[in-house]
Order: sequence, then structure tokens, then C-alpha cells
Amino acid sequence: MDRLLQATLAATGGSDAIDYAFAVEYIGPPVTYEIPQAIPIEIERIPVASVVSPAYLSDHMALPVAQPLPSPTILKQPAVTSPTSVIQNHIAAGGELSGEVGSSGVVAFSNELKLSEDFVNERNSTESDLSYDFGLQSSVFEEEEYDEDRDGEFGDQVRQAGASFEGSVETSGAASFGVVSSYQGRNEEYVRMVKKGACFRCLKGNRFTEKEACVVCDAKYCSGCVLRAMGSMPEGRKCVSCIGSSVEESKRERLGKASRILKRLLSSLEVEQVMKAEKYCDANQLRPEDVRVNGKALTHEEIFVLQSCPCPPSRLKPGYYWYDKVSGFWGKIGYKPERIISANLNVGGSIMRNASNGNTGILINGREITKVELQMLKWAGVQCAGSPHFWVNSDGTYQEEGQKNIKGQIWGRARTKLVCSVLSLPFPPKAAKTFGEEVNIMLNRAVLDYIEQRTTQKLLLTGYYGSGSSTLFKQAKFLYKSTPFTEDELQSIKLLIQTNIYRYLGILLEGREQFEEEYLAERRKHQSYLSSSLDEPDSLTPYSISPRLEAFGDWILTAIASGNLEAIFPAAAREYAPLVEELWHTSAIQVTYKRRTELQSLPDVACYFLDRVVEISRVDYEPSKLEILYAEGMSSLNGLACTEFFYPQSDFGESDISDQDTQLRYQLMRLHTEGLGDKLKWVDMFADVQLVVFCIAGSDYADVCETPDGKFANKMMEGAKLFESLVSHPTFHGMDFLLVLNKFDLLDKMVESSQLANCEWFNDFDPVVSRHSGKNSRGANNCATMGQMAFHYIALKFKRLFFSLTRRKLYVALANSLDSDSAGAAFRYAREILKWKEEMPSPDEDTLNTTDMYSTDLGSYSG
Amino acid sequence: MSVAELKERHVTATETVNALRERLTQRRQLLLDTDVSTYARNHGKTAISFSPTDLVCCRTLQGHTGKVYSLDWTQERNRIVSASQDGRFIVWNALTSQKTHATKLPCAYVMTCAFSRSGQSVACGGLDSACSIFNLNSQVDRDGNIPPSRVLTGHKGYVSCCQFVPDQEFHLITSSGDQTCGLWDVTTGQRISVFGGEFPSGHTSDVLSVSVNTSNSNMFVSGSCDATARVWDTRIASRPVRTYYGHTGDVNTVKFFPDGQRFGTGSDDGTCRLFDMKTGHQLQIYSQQYGENDDIPCVKSIAFSISGRLLFAGYSNGDCYVWDTLLAEVVLNLGSLQNSHEGTISCLGLSSDGSALCTGSYDKKLKVSYHFLSSKT
Repeated sequence: MDRLLQATLAATGGSDAIDYAFAVEYIGPPVTYEIPQAIPIEIERIPVASVVSPAYLSDHMALPVAQPLPSPTILKQPAVTSPTSVIQNHIAAGGELSGEVGSSGVVAFSNELKLSEDFVNERNSTESDLSYDFGLQSSVFEEEEYDEDRDGEFGDQVRQAGASFEGSVETSGAASFGVVSSYQGRNEEYVRMVKKGACFRCLKGNRFTEKEACVVCDAKYCSGCVLRAMGSMPEGRKCVSCIGSSVEESKRERLGKASRILKRLLSSLEVEQVMKAEKYCDANQLRPEDVRVNGKALTHEEIFVLQSCPCPPSRLKPGYYWYDKVSGFWGKIGYKPERIISANLNVGGSIMRNASNGNTGILINGREITKVELQMLKWAGVQCAGSPHFWVNSDGTYQEEGQKNIKGQIWGRARTKLVCSVLSLPFPPKAAKTFGEEVNIMLNRAVLDYIEQRTTQKLLLTGYYGSGSSTLFKQAKFLYKSTPFTEDELQSIKLLIQTNIYRYLGILLEGREQFEEEYLAERRKHQSYLSSSLDEPDSLTPYSISPRLEAFGDWILTAIASGNLEAIFPAAAREYAPLVEELWHTSAIQVTYKRRTELQSLPDVACYFLDRVVEISRVDYEPSKLEILYAEGMSSLNGLACTEFFYPQSDFGESDISDQDTQLRYQLMRLHTEGLGDKLKWVDMFADVQLVVFCIAGSDYADVCETPDGKFANKMMEGAKLFESLVSHPTFHGMDFLLVLNKFDLLDKMVESSQLANCEWFNDFDPVVSRHSGKNSRGANNCATMGQMAFHYIALKFKRLFFSLTRRKLYVALANSLDSDSAGAAFRYAREILKWKEEMPSPDEDTLNTTDMYSTDLGSYSG
Repeated sequence: MSVAELKERHVTATETVNALRERLTQRRQLLLDTDVSTYARNHGKTAISFSPTDLVCCRTLQGHTGKVYSLDWTQERNRIVSASQDGRFIVWNALTSQKTHATKLPCAYVMTCAFSRSGQSVACGGLDSACSIFNLNSQVDRDGNIPPSRVLTGHKGYVSCCQFVPDQEFHLITSSGDQTCGLWDVTTGQRISVFGGEFPSGHTSDVLSVSVNTSNSNMFVSGSCDATARVWDTRIASRPVRTYYGHTGDVNTVKFFPDGQRFGTGSDDGTCRLFDMKTGHQLQIYSQQYGENDDIPCVKSIAFSISGRLLFAGYSNGDCYVWDTLLAEVVLNLGSLQNSHEGTISCLGLSSDGSALCTGSYDKKLKVSYHFLSSKT
């Protein structure tokens, strides 16, 4: 051991002179890039502060940071609020300033100092990096020239105050009605103090030096300071302290357009990434509540609709707008129409009569039009005598209110457009709709990407092996996707089905051999009893097949055993299809198939596929919906399958569901628990899901499966164990669970033949069975079937388990995943749960409800 | 031979194996007269002094919108790739702190990422049970994402960790939740060998981490949920060279010591351990004292300094300790510094020249700390 340790010691730094080496000295050729310089620093000079949340920062923006200066003697005082001030104070206390401050009273000064020091710590907490550099900068200045130092402090302070001030001026101009202006006006005094054109950070340079401005506060930095002041630019060109705040409206145009200075400083790849982030990041998007359409603030979904429609309003800015849903006219409140956008968008409230402040008495779709519009209508040949009320459709056809017949087309004449352009009125966009859509989808995709992230509700679908969760997933795709599977996916499904046939056949062949052996053994035993002659040919059994087929069977079995089934069969499928069919129809295989309950691994669907083997093996075979649902092992190819969908409109039975709800995207993630290990190491990745849908097959209670340690256990128990470990996992604390009791049809059938109490967990299942039940019509009407009772019982068992673990309520749905209606019902239930969750006032109430639910559940079960 | 007879034999054989293993541990205990720290103290070594200013956080890499799960440095020292729960991997320039590539992954649930030796390609793996290879020079698609140049499929469970073999540009080693490790040829997309799985001597639970020996790239070590670490020879897939017991929780992370003769492990039991390759001995435990009611933080990731004198360990409670490997003392807690991460430190790594440490955390940020004091290098 000692020797060993000596070796370790030698390795970790044998000589004491070089006790340890963390980094080695660089002895290569000179580098071309800039090396970050390490300047010796004193520890107390580094203002270190923790990072604050953006929310806090935005609050902070409104705080008045600087007070007016009463007298030049305490000129230093307001400077305390600048990022450098911690250091400055330090210096000041050190005596450098004492002479100057003297007359104003040192005591008072230091008091102020303490107060504001706390303030500073809060304020600049995100700027540790920045202010650290600043500290160095200002100390250098101090040595050089005191005057400039003072100036600098002001400059910096003004950077904060003045910039916000400028912002407010510009926004109120740009944003038509100042919805945005959350900035407080600042004392103009400070604006004057900024050395015009100087960098806000190093305070050097003049107006001719190239600078980059922050898109939020308009602080300008020279090329040497940009990277330090803006850090890694996760949201584009913003000072570190501005990250998370929304951009100044006047700068929205500039978003995503790189400047020369950036291009010089960074590689093209880096610039590209910064611009991408600037343009598409969440914080830089238009805030929907700032855009009011017909007097109603928009929601995220509405603005998404507005921006992604084929003809969106150009350069959407915060403000008040009116929108005529029928014709697609769009304009600012109180003004004539500005543009014609896509009609029939579900955005904002309903249009007011005085939306465009017209006084002509003529109404178009309930809006009183302006004089200019009237002029246009006259030119277009529309009869406007007697102030009629018109309905104008998106294609330009119009009719009078209360009348059926279409009176004409506004855009019918070519000169109308000419008139419109003269009167600066909008006319329908020329671009053909199909083309326009194409372009817009392209443009908006990235933006949508960010918006979607927020509005997506995530559902995690999982379940024990064989619980039908993958079928449920496929059902979701069929139900809610226009193209459930892509061409590639269909191709792989096809290959999978074709390969599966051989796998099923392999199982059957193995079973056949086994049964044949058993049969022969039986007969031999029988024969020995009877002591009859042994020369009777014993090869003829119900399980024997012809030698040709046997050879084929053997070949399949060896292929499966060697594990290259996937490699051989899809290609050879067509060639062997007739042979397979012949084999399938031989009595031996059919007899074996009749005993399929003894063959654990053979699924019920094998019969369906084997019957169609010739058809399936064709090259141009396309799997039908049912076959895809039946196909096994599809999503087990990869551990995780994701799909995103909307619930279609038709799903909403009641009309009281608000329209915006349809825009909610749902992401269903189907997790394949097999191969994910029993340690659930991956669960913390799903901390952001809203609901866990856990599948369990109702028929599992009579099934056994092999546990990892080689023992056999009841499948229902294993499923429950997985459920328990998921529910009690810390990541899913407080998570809602929906238990889908799958394969109800099987449960219904099996519960008649096999006792539910076969599973030890269910041993107290004792349903009240009416003596007259069965085929009796009265019994069928009044009593629940055995299957339903079993379902209620199992559901109750799980609810109790869930309650004992979490003290909350478990949602349970019944489904048969092969039936699209019941699968759809389960998904709708999931959506309902998510809605309840949103409306749920507090978790405490939830617990209270739970007990109630239990009693009712019990009641329903026993009754 | 009947089934019953076979079963009986199996039981006796298992008993024998267990008895032998027990004897082995006892014998080992007997031989284990000292550990590294005691030995070092007896030889008058003292813990190095390491003040907070010796390691200064210079860059905060912001841009991920989800938990950062994994990071890796390139050989040429200034680029970092990180993979996050937002379903993207980002390549950073550590000097300018800017992004050079950001690509959405086919599967958002990514657990690991790695740079190839040349820095031209990136491998990412996660819950989709596949490892995707991205060539950074390839053309981006319409959405600005790089399409994967190759997808390595074959694992039956999630891909928990991947690392390129240092001296072979196209060989990749992965670890997976299906209890196996795999050696892949990235150019062909074929799996060259599978370590564990069907062979009974492999890991008996999810493999969470791999580390390839830098001095002998045929050797790699894997850490698993079965609380063991195993060293493998890439030429012999059938069985591990040696199995290392000692941890009482899942081994989350393994890392070779720079000299290639030892390796370190970090585990859910809150300890880091140093094992000797040749003898199979556990050389040292690095653990803090915790009270009975304290939640013991899990070790999520570890890294050694160039000389091996320092061990950086990231914990689930947001601590990041710098251990003196010789004296088993914490010389610095990066988590206690004021501008440290706010969440679990999920990954950390040293640049190839050892001058910088990058930490990634659940708080969506990465931080790069530089070591400035040249006197101590």
C-alpha cells in the first residue's frame, strides 16, 4: 500500500517546489486572438454580488436612482449610485477626497454612503463582471486625472437615468398611445452632463467613434467595452442588467440587423447566433397586452394568430387598433383603415361604431366610415345615398344590411385600386394567397417556436410494459394529427409489420415443436401402459408438418436465434409470403395457435397479421390504420416518442369553452419504461410536465411477468410498483396523475373466466352480484356488469394507493386503446383535468375535495 | 440433468461466489493499512491554500432556456459545447462568451454531449436511446438547425453519457440505461462492440457515466446504478477488466486521473472516491460530515486538475467543492462564492490546458472560471 501511495504522490506532484499544477505555462507559438488579461486585483475591490432575477430588475428600473444635487460640494454623493461607487467610496474614505468633502460635513456624508451602499449592492448585482472591470477603469482614471473621474461617475450614472429618460420620450412618440411607456421620466439635468458621444462604460471616445447601443436602455458602448457590458448576449444587444426587459419600441426595427462593430468583434457564426437570439427570443417579442384590438388587450395566442396569418398587419407596434373581422380592414383607433389583413381572425373584441371616428353615417360591417372611404366608395360605383349600412366581405363583395343579394364587388374595377392609392387607402394585397402563406410560414416559424414553448401543455404518457400506452399514443396521432405518420415513418412501420410476421411465426413454430414433443412423450407413456408394439410410426401427430415446411421453419428459427431477423426478412418477405401462408394454414400450426394461451409471448394480433401475410408482404403494401394500431414494437424502437397536437374544434361539446383554448398546444410524450431502468434516473427531466398519464392494462391482473431478478410476479403488481415509484418520486411532487385503465374489453371478458382475486392485491374483491344477473334483461339494465365492477374496484385500489402516498386525488379513466372513441375520451378527460388545474383556487381545497370524492366513489362502487 | 438439479447447483455456485467475494473484501481490508490522506499527513504534506481569488468567474454563458445537463471542452481549449433541457446544444466561444452554433435536437430530452477530438463534430445522446452526431461544418437547414450527420441507434435504453476516444477521431464510447456500454464507429454508424448486457459480468443496472483513459485509450471506466465502477478494455468486450466496489449509492460520474493509473468516482451517497486501477484498492474517500437528518447531496460531476492535485466536484445542492486529492480536504467551495450558481451543478469540465473550469447548472447558466495566479501553476 505504501508503495502504491508513493506512486500516487509522485503523480500528484513529487517535488515540493511545484506543489500542484492547475495549469501549465503556455509555450506555443504566439496566438492570434486576444487573450483575456489578468490584472492583479485586491480582493476587497471586487464587488461581488449575487445575480438577481429579471423580474426584480424590471421593478428596479422604475426606482429613481439619482437625486438632484443641491450644492457642488457634495457632488460626490449621487455618484454613489453608479456601479463603480463601491470602489469610489472606498477611495473616498481612504482620504483622497477628504479635503474636498470637508466643508459639507464628513459625518453626514458617510451616513449617506452607508445607505446607498446597500442600494448599490442590490442595483448592480448582475453586473459583477462589469463592475469589476469598472473598478479597474476608474482607479486608473483616478491616478491620471481627478476631473475626468468625476465626470465619469456622472456619465455612468446618467447612463442609467438618462437612457431611461430618452427611452420614454421615444416610446411615447412611437407607441401611438403610450401604452408601453413604463419608464418614469428622469431629471433632465443629467442628460446634459453626459459627455456627448462618449462610451457609457469607459467614458472615452467622441461621437465619431463607432459604438453599439443597448436595445433596451440605449446605453452606447465602444468596441472595447461592448463584449464586457453585454456578456454572452442571450437576448441580443442588451446590457447585462437589461436582460429580460423588453426592447424599446423605436429599436424594434433594428432587431436582427448586425452592425459593423459586432461583425468586427465577433466571428460571423457568433454574430449570426446573436442576431438570431435578438430577433426571436421571448423577451424581445411584442408584448401582447400592449396591443389592443377593438378595445381588448390581446393574449399570447391571439397575437400569435395575428402574426402568423397569411396577411399580417405590417410593423405591428403597441397601440390601440380596430379590426373588422368580416372584411379584414385594419387601422388605428380613430383613423381610416390602414391595411387589409386576413379576415375572420379570432382576435380582440367586437368592432365599435366609432372605431375610425367617421361621421358619414354610412356603416360598413358596423363601423361608421370616414369621408375618405366614402369618396372611394363613390368612385368604386357604390350607391351611397341615404346613408346605407353595408356588409363587406373579405373578397370585396358587398350587400346592404337586411338584404340577401350581393350588390357588387368593390374591387371589381381596376380604377378603384388607383383611387385607393391616391387616397392612401388600403386595397387587398396582390400576392396570391398560396404564395403569401408559404412566405409567411417560413418567416414566422422561428418566432412561433418561441411562442409555442410557452403555450404548450405537456403530457407524459407512460405505463408498464404491455399496458397499451404506445397504442394510446398512436391513437392520439390518428385523432389529432392531419398526417399521423410521415412517409418515412410509414416505411419503417411497414418493415416492422413485415418482420413481425416472421417473429410470430417463429413463436408458433417453437410452440409446435414443444407441443409435438409433449404429445409424443404422452403417447409413449400411453403406449408403454398399453405395452403395444413400438414399431408404429410415431411421427404422425397433429403437430407434424411436411419436411419442406419444416426446413423452412427451421431456417426462420435459426435466423431469429442468430438475431438478424431485421436484416433478412423485409427484403425476403415477398419471396416467402406464399410459403408463410401455407405454413399458417397447415393444421399443425392452427392447432398450435388454438393453444396460444400457453405461448406467453404470442400476442393476440398475430392471427390478424398472419391471415393477411400475402397482402402484407407485397412491395406496395401500405399499412392501414388498424394495422398500425395493431403493430407492435413501434415506439419501442426509440425510448421516447413525442407528438404535438391541438384538440380539434369539434371536440368541444359545450359552447362555453372560450375560443382561445383551441390554440393551446398539447405535447404528448410517450415514454417507454422498458430500458429506462428501475432507478428512474431520467424523471427529473420531466419536471415541467403538467400531467402524467399512466397506463395500466386491466387484463394484467391475470398475467405474470419476469422481474429483473429472475422471479415471476404478477404483472398488475409490477405495474402498481412502477406507478408507486413514479408517484412518490420527488420530481413529481404535487403532480396530477391520470390513470388510464386500458384494455377494458379484455378485462370484461376475462373477469368472467378468471377471478380478480387471482392477484393478491385484489383478494378482497367481493362484488354484489344479483342472483338474477346474467342474460336477464332486468339485471343487465340495472346492474353493472362484472367488468365494470372490476374496473371500479381496481380504480379504487389505485386511488387509495395514490391517496396514501400524496393525500391527493387520482384521476382515473377507462379506455380501450384500440377503440378510437374511448382513447379520444381519455384524452379529452386529460384536457379537462388540465383545465380544472388552472381553475383550481388552491391546493388546500383540493385536499378537502379529495375526501368527498372518496366517499362518493365508495358509494358508487358498493351501489 | 434436471432443472431442479441445475437450480441447486446455481444456488451453491452463487453462495460460493459470495463467500469468496466476502473473503476478498476482508483480505483487502486487512491489507489496507492507510489511505492517501493519512500517508500524506505522515509525510508532512499540508493542504494547499486556495483562496476564492485564485479561481475567478470571468464569463457567464447565458442562452439556454432549460437546465444545463452536460458540457464538454474542445482540445483547442476555447470552445465549449453544452446541452440543455430546452432541447438544444450550443457551442460557445469561451473567450468572447458568444455562441457559434445553436441547434435544436431531434429529441429534446438530451443527457449528454461531447466534442470530437478535432472539434468538428458534436455527439449528443438522451432519452431517445440514440446518439446523434452533428458535423458543425455542415449546412444548416431552413430553421437554422444543423441536421444530424449520423444517428447511432442500437441502445435499448437512454444514452446517459458519451465520449470520443482521444486518439481515434471516429470512435465513440457511450453508456446507456440498458446496462451496457457501446463502442461505435461514427463514420459507418455501426456499433463495434457492446460491453455488458448479456454477459453476466457486466453492470447489473443503468450505466450512467464513462471516461476514457487518456494515456491508454483502450481502457475506459464506467459507473453505474449498481454502485460499482468497472474498467473495460475495448478489445475485450466480454467481461470487464475489474469491478470496483465501495460506493453505497448510484455512481453518477467517473473520471480518469490524469496519469491514467487511477480514477475518481462520484456517487449519490455523497462521496467521491479514488480507486487504483492495478490493485483495485480504494485509495481515498472524499466526503463531508453530515448530520443524521441532513439531506446528503449527490455528487453530480467531477473533474481533476491537470496535475491531479485538485478534484472539482459538483453537488446536487449547488455546492462545488475543490478537494485537495492528497489530504482529502476541501480547499474551496465555489458554491459559497457570491456569484455562484443557484441550482444543482450538473456538469463541470476543465479546458484541455487546465487553465479554465466550466460549470453548468440547473439554473440554465454556465460559468467559466479562469485560474489567474501563474505562480502556483
